Amino acid sequence: MASGAVLPRLLGAGVRAAPRGRAAPRGRTLGSAAAAAAPEPERDSDLSARILSEPLKHSDFFNVKELFSVRSLFNARVHLGHKAGCRHRFMEPYIFGSRLGQDIIDLEQTATHLQLALNFTAHVAYRGGIILFVSRARQFSHLIENTARSCGEYAHTRYFKGGLLTNAPLLLGPQVRLPDLIIFLHTLNNVFEPHVAVRDAAKMNIPTVGIVDTNCNPCLITYPVPGNDDSPPAVQLFCRLFQTAVTRAKEKRRQLEALYRLQGAPGPRPANPAASPGAQAGLGLGVAP
Amino acid sequence: MAGSRLETVGSIFTRTRDLIRAGVLKEKPLWFDIYNAFPPLRDPVFRRPRLRYGKAKSPTQDIFYHEDQIRAKFYSAYGSGPKAFDLFNPNFKSTCERFVEKYIELQKLGETDEEKLFVEAGKALLAEGVILRRLEKARTEGSQVSRKSEPMGVESQTALEENPPLKEVPQPQHLEAPGEESKGLSPP
Repeated sequence: MASGAVLPRLLGAGVRAAPRGRAAPRGRTLGSAAAAAAPEPERDSDLSARILSEPLKHSDFFNVKELFSVRSLFNARVHLGHKAGCRHRFMEPYIFGSRLGQDIIDLEQTATHLQLALNFTAHVAYRGGIILFVSRARQFSHLIENTARSCGEYAHTRYFKGGLLTNAPLLLGPQVRLPDLIIFLHTLNNVFEPHVAVRDAAKMNIPTVGIVDTNCNPCLITYPVPGNDDSPPAVQLFCRLFQTAVTRAKEKRRQLEALYRLQGAPGPRPANPAASPGAQAGLGLGVAP
Repeated sequence: MAGSRLETVGSIFTRTRDLIRAGVLKEKPLWFDIYNAFPPLRDPVFRRPRLRYGKAKSPTQDIFYHEDQIRAKFYSAYGSGPKAFDLFNPNFKSTCERFVEKYIELQKLGETDEEKLFVEAGKALLAEGVILRRLEKARTEGSQVSRKSEPMGVESQTALEENPPLKEVPQPQHLEAPGEESKGLSPP
């Protein structure tokens, strides 16, 4: 979105302050300056349209499937749910069974949901969307903030004030850009009720990705991922997966922009040998099914 | 910018799509095309959680294996076994697990009598050097009642012994329980 790219990100404490600007247009000389100016904006918009539409044609453009396997989910204890008494009615389709009273989550379903969620996250990051990590578990607050910082995105692991999303102009400032994706590592707050941000994100038409345990309500979450949100290995695995997906997507975006810029204007700008093989490899990686 | 805050009506996608179609929302949000290309497996529509009434039960099944019967017999006869459980090791085999493996091997060889299989499996483990100590008293369903009252403390023994009409069957096991507690305390 062009306007989204121009507005500086005001959320958070200055992790990313620089607006995403485009370099000054340079192009082939077509004999006259006026004629050179006219095709430039068309080519730029055509290029940006191609950059945005190209990844949507592949089913797994960022190859997120290779980041995890059912075995790695099992080793991280993602399949362990709460006791049968804590079970939420809407989580029953995702539960494989109950072993001596403890619910076991179906990892085959988790794998499909996780692939969709990571793919969506990567695409949002590719388009320069703002991602907000939300969790109210104090045990993992530090880990989640570090994860967000390392992939250049935002996190909110403290008390969620009432109108933060719904009354943002008042609480955060007049021209604030709200997140384009909210990732919940814990859907419940400290009193085991659904986090306010789940309902608020649905109100503000913000898509959500969430790790839902057996005692959570997955209804309002756009891309729920049934899984354990209490064991440290499981939460660390999910943080690592989201971080890798976001970093990969941003890297791919940089590569493709460089590649298209090279292809579009081969004249004055010297070809960057480091960028093109990497970009070619990246494009090849995305194209291969 | 226009928006719809009705989270209970449809999904974010249906609301945004209809607003765009009506011309109220001028710009497509960033996620719209991505959602269109890769929709989730279930529409994120609000549903009100309803309680189950009467005899309606949840369809979640219990997970039981055939080996569980062998494990149950092992635990009732020998307790946890001599080796402590090391849960950090993902490939850890407890005494019970080894017993079950031996049992299944012998069953595959053609034996059918459960008692014989049990005894033979115990002997096979003994041949490998694992000593199985039988429990002092047989673990049954009734003894679970006395087991729950054990942590109440030694001082309440007299109070328990004064209530013969309440617990008649576990009574002899009751009197043995404090004895076993002291036996358990002395070795370490």
